[in-house]
Amino acid sequence: MILQTVFMGLFGVAAIWFAIVVFRTSSMVRSALALLFSQAALGAMFLAMQAEFLGVLQIMMMATEMAIMAVFMVMFMMDPGGLGGMEMTHQKRYAQVAGVIGAFGALGVAFGAGWGTPKATAPGPQEQLRGLGLDLMERSMLVFETAGVTILAAMIAATAVAVATRSASNREGDDR
Amino acid sequence: MMALYVALAVGAVMFGIGLYGTLSQTNLVMIMMGVEVMLGGALVNLVAFWRFLHPTAYPGQTFFLIIMTVMALDMAVGFGVGTARFRSRGSVESEEARELKG
Repeated sequence: MILQTVFMGLFGVAAIWFAIVVFRTSSMVRSALALLFSQAALGAMFLAMQAEFLGVLQIMMMATEMAIMAVFMVMFMMDPGGLGGMEMTHQKRYAQVAGVIGAFGALGVAFGAGWGTPKATAPGPQEQLRGLGLDLMERSMLVFETAGVTILAAMIAATAVAVATRSASNREGDDR
Repeated sequence: MMALYVALAVGAVMFGIGLYGTLSQTNLVMIMMGVEVMLGGALVNLVAFWRFLHPTAYPGQTFFLIIMTVMALDMAVGFGVGTARFRSRGSVESEEARELKG
């Protein structure tokens, strides 16, 4: 239990540090990589919490998600390398106050609420997967199916929004 | 008990950092990164609650999968809107998007 807490703390500090780096560096590619490392550290923290499936899922999902994000950043940003020293923040004081209040509010709830006695042991990976599979196919089936339909709807909506309209295509053609 | 508090503290700090990033950044992609950090904080709490309070009940893990779906959808729809915006205005800066202000 002590070793588990130590590893959770280490990975947690790494996740927080890289999350801070995301908003401190002026290079967008570095930001995307920092977010990848932050989410991967969270995945490692899940592994330390004996949630093997969720930890591996988190690392795999975030690796692909951040790779795509880095490509979009280079495409969309005026200064992706951060060499021009562009200011890309606004209302910083207000954001800092909101962030501190949000964090301390959550910390207050975390440390103030009575959570009961924590369980020392967790089921093994096989038993966890079996339990999760049964839950998805029995009690939470409607939720799971709704998530699938929502993904499909969002895919169609995102593609429809992103596809160039005829007028936009003509405008781009005129520019060339 | 200590391990639960460590996880909840990490989740709370991640939430605060994500909130700061979401409110302070002007670029759409960076705003989405702030949302991802906040959702990461929520994921830590979910896993901690499952592991330390209800390790034999699995709706917590199901909820984790739903949040992960929300993260992917946030990215897909955000980049769809970003692409449309970039095509029409040549920028995804929130400071330049004032059309909805009225």
